[in-house]
Amino acid sequence: MITSPLFLQIVLFPGLTSIAIIGALLGWLERKVTARVQLRIGPLYASPAGGILQMFADLIKLAFKELIVPENSDAFFFIMAPTTGLVLGAALVGLIPFAPGLQIANIEVGLPAFLAIITLSPTLILLAGWSANSKFPFIGGLRALFQQTAYEIPLWLSALGVIMMAGTMNLAQIVAAQSTGWFIIPQALGALIFLVTSVAEMERLPFDLPEAESEIMMGWQAEYPGVLFLAAQGPGFVKLYAFSALFTTIFLGGFLGPSFLPPLFWMLSKTLIVIVLIMLLRSTFPRVRLDQLLRAGWTTLLTLAIINIGITYILVVGLPTL
Amino acid sequence: MVAQGIPEIGAYIAFLFVSTVALVIVLRLFITPKDPRPTPEKKKPFESGQIAAGPGRTRFIIQYYPYLLMFVVYDVVAMFLFAWGLNLRALGASGSVPVLVFIVVLLIPLGYALHLANHRENW
Repeated sequence: MITSPLFLQIVLFPGLTSIAIIGALLGWLERKVTARVQLRIGPLYASPAGGILQMFADLIKLAFKELIVPENSDAFFFIMAPTTGLVLGAALVGLIPFAPGLQIANIEVGLPAFLAIITLSPTLILLAGWSANSKFPFIGGLRALFQQTAYEIPLWLSALGVIMMAGTMNLAQIVAAQSTGWFIIPQALGALIFLVTSVAEMERLPFDLPEAESEIMMGWQAEYPGVLFLAAQGPGFVKLYAFSALFTTIFLGGFLGPSFLPPLFWMLSKTLIVIVLIMLLRSTFPRVRLDQLLRAGWTTLLTLAIINIGITYILVVGLPTL
Repeated sequence: MVAQGIPEIGAYIAFLFVSTVALVIVLRLFITPKDPRPTPEKKKPFESGQIAAGPGRTRFIIQYYPYLLMFVVYDVVAMFLFAWGLNLRALGASGSVPVLVFIVVLLIPLGYALHLANHRENW
């Protein structure tokens, strides 16, 4: 059992170990990329290679901090919500095909399952904000809920375009359907909507309203001390990794690429490009207001998503050979 | 085999490292030493350095209510489209007519609901 391929995939790659290490490395990469954009240096001292061990040093620091659970808070949900968020992020990565056969759960409804699992995340944020018995976390939790109503439907409808093109919801078969051409070309509009709404789903700038450290003091994370703060921050990076891998899988041809390098290389390098793109959005755009996000999600993004479905319908039914 | 290019012993060492860290974090959550220096302010809610005023779970005004109502309806509508999109090639143009009528019929109230929701007096 210890050497069975599925067990190795779950504990090593693409499973738990690699998720934890990649999540920590993404934290370092984000600080480095943001620093480079802002003409700073960023983490430097935690290793000879440009502070690449900075997040591990932070982990050790946070592990020794005192755990303060605020008075009159619901301690069970206060601790449960961020740790469940970590499990959700890991479950997302398990659905992604990283190479032929290198996929933990190859299920028929892979794409809707991914989006359905991520739907739980704003609920957990609301739970965390409510249980802390403090005002800023509660406002942050409510904002997460409003934000979900703005991006959820365009996100699902932009994924629907891919399903219409591929005729399947299985992620491995969606990759196989792109052997004649990546879906980002016929689905350019859908890919754009998917990118914007997934950034909103990850609660990253310019849509980080539930955290919004300059308005509501990190929002739902305000009361989290030490290790729990790490557990609250961690899912963000794991979700960034999982969503970039999903974007690569359904729009950029997944692990397909010239055969002189292994499929895993193509998958990971395309994922890295998408990750850096999303990180650059963070340092480029200012934060939107909640009513701007709601209006944009319900008018612009939803209209574009419906137009995209119309284009896809014409492509699939009008040009069946494509 | 598992991760091409990485020798298996290295992968196992990484797994041991990560699981040790995870174990330390979980133990840290359960084994909390007694507070050495308890102060009354330590467990108070954080309000930017001010002393917390009033209860933390007060009644907040739920704004943007029309958007929430629209979400309840149109999230379900979007799910219906998935069953159609999956079988689009088999259904073809003739089989898609009911779904297209369904979309158009639901888009008209969506436009009216958006017209109402985008007015500030309805928030």
